[in-house]
Amino acid sequence: MGKVIVITSGKGGVGKTTTTANLGTALAMFDKKVVMVDTDIGLRNLDVVLGLENRIVYDIVDAVRGNCRLNQALIKDKRFENMFLLPAAQTKDKTAVTEDQMVELCDKLKDEFDFVIIDCPAGIEHGFRNAIAGAEEAIVVTTPEVSAVRDADRIIGLLEAAEVRSPRLIINRIRTNMVQTGDMMSVDDILSILAVELLGIVPDDDAIIISTNRGEPTVMDDASLPGQAYRNIAHRLCGEEVPLMTLTPKKNSFFSRLKSLFSGE
Amino acid sequence: MEWPDRLTNLPTTMVNHTLRSGQSINSDGNVVVLGDVNPGAEVAAVGHIVVMGTLRGVVHAGSTGNEDATITALELIPTQLRIATHITRPPDGCSKDRSYRPETARIKDDEVIIEEYNTPK
Repeated sequence: MGKVIVITSGKGGVGKTTTTANLGTALAMFDKKVVMVDTDIGLRNLDVVLGLENRIVYDIVDAVRGNCRLNQALIKDKRFENMFLLPAAQTKDKTAVTEDQMVELCDKLKDEFDFVIIDCPAGIEHGFRNAIAGAEEAIVVTTPEVSAVRDADRIIGLLEAAEVRSPRLIINRIRTNMVQTGDMMSVDDILSILAVELLGIVPDDDAIIISTNRGEPTVMDDASLPGQAYRNIAHRLCGEEVPLMTLTPKKNSFFSRLKSLFSGE
Repeated sequence: MEWPDRLTNLPTTMVNHTLRSGQSINSDGNVVVLGDVNPGAEVAAVGHIVVMGTLRGVVHAGSTGNEDATITALELIPTQLRIATHITRPPDGCSKDRSYRPETARIKDDEVIIEEYNTPK
């Protein structure tokens, strides 16, 4: 029996889809059987980020309405045999699926997969409630911005009210040099407000933009810092203990920063 | 103003968790929050408000107009404080650094003042 994990944030543009794609891919690299479910009906993106856009025939709405069998809607990844995508519908809206249907869908998927990762739409309305309906665990993604942290706080409150057990936090797009100069919220600042378990931190990196545009998740790149961060998080999801990435450079040079990251100092 | 005043005899609501953004408490008596009050959360009480944590949100003590109402927090860095009909906010450009010491807000001479929390004698 697998785990159903929803990736959510409240605010848009903080990296829910990127996080879903990278964690899903990392788990597949660790030989887990993974399905990623895009619940952003009407604004689907996960297929693009994974580079699977041109393989879509059926989608989540077809699957829950019985227009096709569930297996027909699941797209097998082109790189990993054990990784699948259930894409959102693009021509319908969030009301095309109900919470009960999502619960039923998640129950079916977790029989077959080790990890069911649900990419939640931005906002706190129908789409959000659908996305969390069948989830047992939640990962909240935020960035070190006051607005994103405020929305994360709201989302954590809603998750607690919906009895999705103890949400865990990923802080995305950290820029160490700005934290050092006091121009960006630090990890501690964010944790003092949100007071939830920290699952991981991901540095800001141009490589993400390139990998997203190419449809190749950055976790597949051994040299990528955010890739390393996502691999660490995926290890933690498998129950392993991995120390947090050290993002504090001793000197401000890029190479000393790289060195300290890889030596684990 | 002396403790105990007549407001302290009002029924008290205990909130046993942190109030997060979007959550609110409205009480006919006093409110004690065992947790933080985060930015975007709101507490309104006819009587006193005590936050056993960090107060970062908006709170309104004496919400029906009682000027004896007070607001006490282990750490008082609110978005806005309201007591009876008075509304105050931290001055613009005021440091948002943490204070780590308990403080009480009350009305004195028709103004909201904030002072270090002192155990009632």
